[in-house]
Amino acid sequence: MAAIDKPPAPRTGAHTVIGSSIVIDGEISGDEDLVILGTVKGRIGLKESLFVESSGVIEADIETANVEVSGQVTGNISASEKVELKADCKVTGDIRAPRILIADGAIFKGNVDMDVKGAK
Amino acid sequence: MATMDGSTIIGESILINGNLNGDEDLTVRGRVEGTVTLTKTLVVEPTGVVKAEVQVKNCVIAGAVVGNVTASESVEITKEGRMIGDISAPRVIIVDGASFRGRIDMGEFEVREGERPERTLSARAAPRPALTTRRPSPAPAPKAEAAEKASAPRPPEPPVPAALGGAKKKVIVRRK
Repeated sequence: MAAIDKPPAPRTGAHTVIGSSIVIDGEISGDEDLVILGTVKGRIGLKESLFVESSGVIEADIETANVEVSGQVTGNISASEKVELKADCKVTGDIRAPRILIADGAIFKGNVDMDVKGAK
Repeated sequence: MATMDGSTIIGESILINGNLNGDEDLTVRGRVEGTVTLTKTLVVEPTGVVKAEVQVKNCVIAGAVVGNVTASESVEITKEGRMIGDISAPRVIIVDGASFRGRIDMGEFEVREGERPERTLSARAAPRPALTTRRPSPAPAPKAEAAEKASAPRPPEPPVPAALGGAKKKVIVRRK
């Protein structure tokens, strides 16, 4: 019973969730965390964190503060703080952020730029 | 919030501009512009704004919707809901307090030719004689009394206790 009190929601403070069967073709912008389990094509611009879960597929340019990728991303990522490529993720595109973490098992193809000035 | 899978939430500060397709419920607390196509339910919460062509199974509007909504089952506009656009759905529910401007199409429905004329005839037959008999008896009587008092107010002699106008005029005469 105690386990039910802490529900499966893995991200605290994530108000926006794009579910696994959702396909968005266009632009997403906002000031809050965004969790993507579905597909997004176009552009994503956030002032907070973007979480691409393992079922998430993104074909978009991303501009956020933090990015955490467990799924697939095709497009350029520009983060003002941190980009984290988890194990089993697939990322194709250029990454620009002051801090970039690539875990063992991650598949990545593209350029990395950690120049702090260019991050913003 | 509890179920991560099978429910999509667009948060308050989020703006989506483009096409949105899916096979699950969608809750909008932010803004969505473009088109929304779902095989399940779209819920527009009080903070939500949808400016889009919407095609869904069910639609619950508690926020603002500008655009045409086509639902295969139902559209409901709650008391906080505001909508401008056309609705096409077999079931349309508009609650007291909701604001809506647009057309509604609930599709084709059968009209039974035998029943309708009977109902209208019987409904017309009942109230009509009642109205004609009631109207002449009470209505002209007070009007005539009032007219008489207005034309000749000075003589205070005729005692009319029932009418308020008569009582007032009596007081005025005594003061003079």
